[in-house]
Amino acid sequence: MKLASSAIAVALAAISFGAQAQQITGAGSSFAAPIYGKWAEAASAPTGIKLNYQSIGSGAGINQINNRTVDFGASDMPVKADDLKAHNLLQFPTAIGGVVMAVNLPGIEANQIKLTGEILAEIYLGKITKWNDPKLVELNHGVNLPNLAIAPVYRADGSGTTFVFTDYLSMIDPNWKTAVGSSTSVKWPVGNGAKGSEGVAATVHQVKGGIGYVESAYAFQNHLVTTQLRNKAGNFVTPTMEAFSAAASSADWSAVQNFAIDLNDEPGAASWPIESATFVLLPTDAKEPAQSKAVTKLFDWSFSNGNKIATDLLYVPLPVAVQNAIRAAWAAQIKG
Amino acid sequence: MSTTTTASLPIQKSHKIAESLSKRRARVNLIAKSLCFLATGIAVVLLLAILGTLLYLGGSGIHWSVFTNITKPPGSGGGLLNAIVGSLIQTVLGVLIGTPVGLLVGTFLAEYARTSWLGNVVRFVSDVLLSAPSILIGLFIYQLLVAPFGGFSGVAGVAALAVIVIPIVVRTTEDMLTLIPTALREAAVALGAPKWKAIVLICYRAALNGIATGVLLAIARVAGETAPLLFTSLGNLNWSTALNEPMSSLPVTIYQYAGSPFEDWVQLAWVGALLITFGVLFINILARVVLRQRG
Repeated sequence: MKLASSAIAVALAAISFGAQAQQITGAGSSFAAPIYGKWAEAASAPTGIKLNYQSIGSGAGINQINNRTVDFGASDMPVKADDLKAHNLLQFPTAIGGVVMAVNLPGIEANQIKLTGEILAEIYLGKITKWNDPKLVELNHGVNLPNLAIAPVYRADGSGTTFVFTDYLSMIDPNWKTAVGSSTSVKWPVGNGAKGSEGVAATVHQVKGGIGYVESAYAFQNHLVTTQLRNKAGNFVTPTMEAFSAAASSADWSAVQNFAIDLNDEPGAASWPIESATFVLLPTDAKEPAQSKAVTKLFDWSFSNGNKIATDLLYVPLPVAVQNAIRAAWAAQIKG
Repeated sequence: MSTTTTASLPIQKSHKIAESLSKRRARVNLIAKSLCFLATGIAVVLLLAILGTLLYLGGSGIHWSVFTNITKPPGSGGGLLNAIVGSLIQTVLGVLIGTPVGLLVGTFLAEYARTSWLGNVVRFVSDVLLSAPSILIGLFIYQLLVAPFGGFSGVAGVAALAVIVIPIVVRTTEDMLTLIPTALREAAVALGAPKWKAIVLICYRAALNGIATGVLLAIARVAGETAPLLFTSLGNLNWSTALNEPMSSLPVTIYQYAGSPFEDWVQLAWVGALLITFGVLFINILARVVLRQRG
């Protein structure tokens, strides 16, 4: 009894009202969570700002910033211009990452297999069903492809990664665009669903002949068997930081509004074909403008000092010109 | 002679019937018994497997830094201090707020409104609340305390947990008070005690063990709840004990870390699960010892 009452006393003594330091709360994209965590850790001493970022998923992040329960939202899918206007939000990207294919084939090593967007679309449409399909054999001379059924795996939860992947397939294959389309969750013609990148990785790992799409950082951290992909220039590229950077730098950022860039299927000889930026949504009419200002301060510090942190975690930093354009947008739209 | 043989025949017959019946009963008994043992065995093996996995995967990650460091980004050597303290604050406050309410409602149902129309309605509502998915309670508090006030907060988390505690305590309190013989109450009233004294000094004392068990069940339940906290106290990566700000908790941290691609986070998730499990186990054992000494 004494122990219980002293535990209660400790708990009561510990609680308080009011912030101990300036704290900002953000929520959304799980893809961006590791890099925001690392940036915030490094920035807390020089900026005096503490970030509490919660990865609740891109869709939930958009919802929460629309309800103004957090200081900023985060999404891998750019929000439409009309929606930004309706909710008084400023959208800007913070980092870039690739999406890669993971496969499970006996005797096949990482980046040994070559795939194209057309073949991926046909696999996920259920038109190509065997790993020794003539189209696959033709692409992969000298690789012993087994007579094994292809088991496509997709994200069952609403996911920014699914948007990036289906958006890429829509660009490549008109059939995909009309039959399935692109969104954070779509009606998949074939395959099995799994929750989260870890679920996709686990399912691919368990099923012989499995194939799935995951964020690059996830694939590298877990040493998944990735594949080569053919890019717009017709070259087969392996998923590396260089290939991700090449795609990011060949994009034409000036052509898009609200920084809502699509980095899929970019030109460039060395570009990785499936890639996306991750976005922050910041209110321009915040009740406490100091909070929005603090968010810009944090990302300003990260843009100037956080590129090394980003590449260490396998994210591609934004081009400097884009970073400066974002700073200009802050100065124009974020008061406080 | 003849009379005895004619008389002994049906006896022998019934003897035989009884013998075969008892054999049949013994067989059925044996089958039922072995099924019981099998079921118990499965349950025990599963329980031991869970505890064993927890100890094996969580135990290897137990280190001082888990208790001295707050959560940090992957690879920075983070711990669980803010999550542990956040869970402690929210669980303790949630139980402190929910228990008195549940106790009074349970008392009302057992002592004042056992068969009345109002009592039946309250009992029904409480039972519905007891079986309501906890995510619904989280959403309810989100609409009530998060959306209108423009932010996630520890207060909202405490409120959600308190709402979960109430029906558990109501149920056990009512059941325990109903078990007490009416003669006890009559004796108290016959000695001149007013009804409230009969309830507080006689009934509560007699039902103490059961009521305390209910509170323990409530603690165990809310200490491991993730769903109602996701959209109320949200979680906090930083050290914060402010109730008007987002607050960290062990279950939410486990939920996020267990599915992450980073080995050190997954390890911390196992440690967190171990801490919750053995925390609840410890409280259970402690309460049993204390109650036994009193009884």
